[in-house]
Amino acid sequence: MSAEPWGDGCCVDRTTTSAHGSRIVGGDTTQPVVAVRDLTKRFGTVTAVDTLSFTLAAGSITGFLGPNGAGKTTTLRLLLGLARPTSGDALVFGRPYRDLPNPTRRVGALLESGDFDPGRTGRNHLRALAIASGTDTARVDELLEIVELDRAANRLAGSYSLGMRQRLGLAAALLGRPALLVLDEPANGLDAAGVHWLRGFLHQFAGGGGTVLISSHLLAEVAQTVDHALIIERGRLVATVAVDQLPDSGALEQLYLELTGRDEP
Amino acid sequence: MIAQLSSELFKQRTTRTARILLTSMVGVTVLVVCLHVFTLKTADLSQAANQPKVFGWGTTLGALFAALAGAISITAEFRHGTIRPTLLTNPNRARVVTAKAAAAAIAGLVIGLLAAGLVGAIGSIGLALRGIPITLHAGDFTQMIAGGAAGAALWAILGTGLGTIIRGQVGAVVGLCVWLLLIENILIGNVPSAGKYAPGASDGALAGLMPTSGTASLLTPIAGALLLVGYAGVCAAAGLAAIERRDID
Repeated sequence: MSAEPWGDGCCVDRTTTSAHGSRIVGGDTTQPVVAVRDLTKRFGTVTAVDTLSFTLAAGSITGFLGPNGAGKTTTLRLLLGLARPTSGDALVFGRPYRDLPNPTRRVGALLESGDFDPGRTGRNHLRALAIASGTDTARVDELLEIVELDRAANRLAGSYSLGMRQRLGLAAALLGRPALLVLDEPANGLDAAGVHWLRGFLHQFAGGGGTVLISSHLLAEVAQTVDHALIIERGRLVATVAVDQLPDSGALEQLYLELTGRDEP
Repeated sequence: MIAQLSSELFKQRTTRTARILLTSMVGVTVLVVCLHVFTLKTADLSQAANQPKVFGWGTTLGALFAALAGAISITAEFRHGTIRPTLLTNPNRARVVTAKAAAAAIAGLVIGLLAAGLVGAIGSIGLALRGIPITLHAGDFTQMIAGGAAGAALWAILGTGLGTIIRGQVGAVVGLCVWLLLIENILIGNVPSAGKYAPGASDGALAGLMPTSGTASLLTPIAGALLLVGYAGVCAAAGLAAIERRDID
C-alpha cells in the first residue's frame, strides 16, 4: 500500500466489496443523466460486470477507468442497449436506452474506432445515419467541418488514418446534438494535437451543460480532461474520485495503480 | 420505418460492395448464357426440353445475387461494426432488420429483372444468330421475367434473414452459393419428388423454368410462389428473433 497524500474523505470514495451503493458523480443529483444500479453481466462463468452502481449528473465529465478487460466496454454496451444485463439496470435520462424515442437526439456514442464500411465515403457514412434519425444533411456538413474532415469527406473511410476514424466516429456521435456523450477510448490513435483538441471540445461540451462519460485504460490521456473518475477493476467499482480536488495529477495515477493492483495503467 | 428504409436504400447505393455485386451478376450471367448458347450442339439446343434449361439460368443467378445482396446488407454491418451506430440510431432492432429486408427486396427485384432480361435477350439473340428456332413462347418469357423478378425479391428477403442469423459474411455467401448452385441441382436431379419443394425449385416453378430440370417436375407457379413466400417468411422471422435475442459485440 502506498502513502495517501490526499487522504480519504474529501475526494476519494472507496467502494468496498460488501457495499455497492449508488455513487453520485457531479453536484446535481435530482435528475441523473445516467443511473446504473446493481448492473451485472455474466458470460458463462465469467462475470464481466459485477453489481456496478453509479450515477452521473448533468455537466460532468467522468472518466471510466480501469485496466483492459475490467468491464468498461461491456458496461457501456449495457448502458447503450446493445447488450442485455444479466441483472440490474442501466438508465439514461431515466429510461433504458432502447426505450428512448429517437435516442441519438439525447445520447451520442463512440464505441471503438472503425465502425464504418471501408467502401463507403466518410460523408455517406454520416448521411446514412442522419437519414435514419431524421437529421438534415446540413448538420452532416457542419460536423465534417467541426471534426476537420471536410476535405476528406468524399474519400472512402477505409483510407482514413486512425485519428481520422476517431473523428468520423465522434462526428457520428454528435449528429443528433446529444446532451450525453459516451466515448469508449476516444483518444486511441489521436496525436498530441488531436488529444488537445478533444479535451478542449469536451470541456466546451460540458460547459454548455452536456454530460460526458469517457472510458480509458490510458490514465494520462484523460487525467487532465475529467473532473470525476470511476475506477473499476474486474467488473466492480473500486473508487469514485473527484479529480479536481486531488492535490496533483500524480495522485490519481498513484491511486489508480494502488486500486487496480497492476503496474501498467 | 420510412426513415430506416431510406437509410438502408442509401447504404445500398453507397458502397463499393453494391457495385461489385451488380457487376459480377451481369458478368456471370452474360458468361453463363453465352457459354450455353454458343458452345452447345445445334441438335441439343433445338430440343424444346433443353431451351428452358438455358434460359433458366436467369432464374437461378437472379435468385443467387439477390440473396447475396440481402445477406451482405446485414453481414457487412456485423463485419465492419456499423451495426453498432445503426442500432444506436434506431434501437428497434426488428424495425431495422425489416427495413433491411424491404430494401433488399427492392434490390432483389431489380437484380431479378436484370438477370432474366439479360438471359432472355442474349439467349434469344444467340439462338437467332445460330438459326435455331426458339421454342419458348411470349407467355413463357413474361413468366420468366416477372416470376424471376418476384422470386429474386423473395430470395433477397430470405438472404437477409439468413445473414441476420449467421452474422458471418463468408459463411452466408458460401452457404448461399453452395445451396443454390450445387445442392438444389442435386436435389432436383436425383430426388425430384422431394427436390421440387426446395426454395430454389420453388423459385423455378414461379419463373416457370430453372437450369437443371427445365420445366420437368416443377410445382405450379402459384404453389412455387406460396412455398417461396413461406421460406422467405421463416428466414425473416428467425432473423428477427435472432437480432432481438443476441447481444451486439
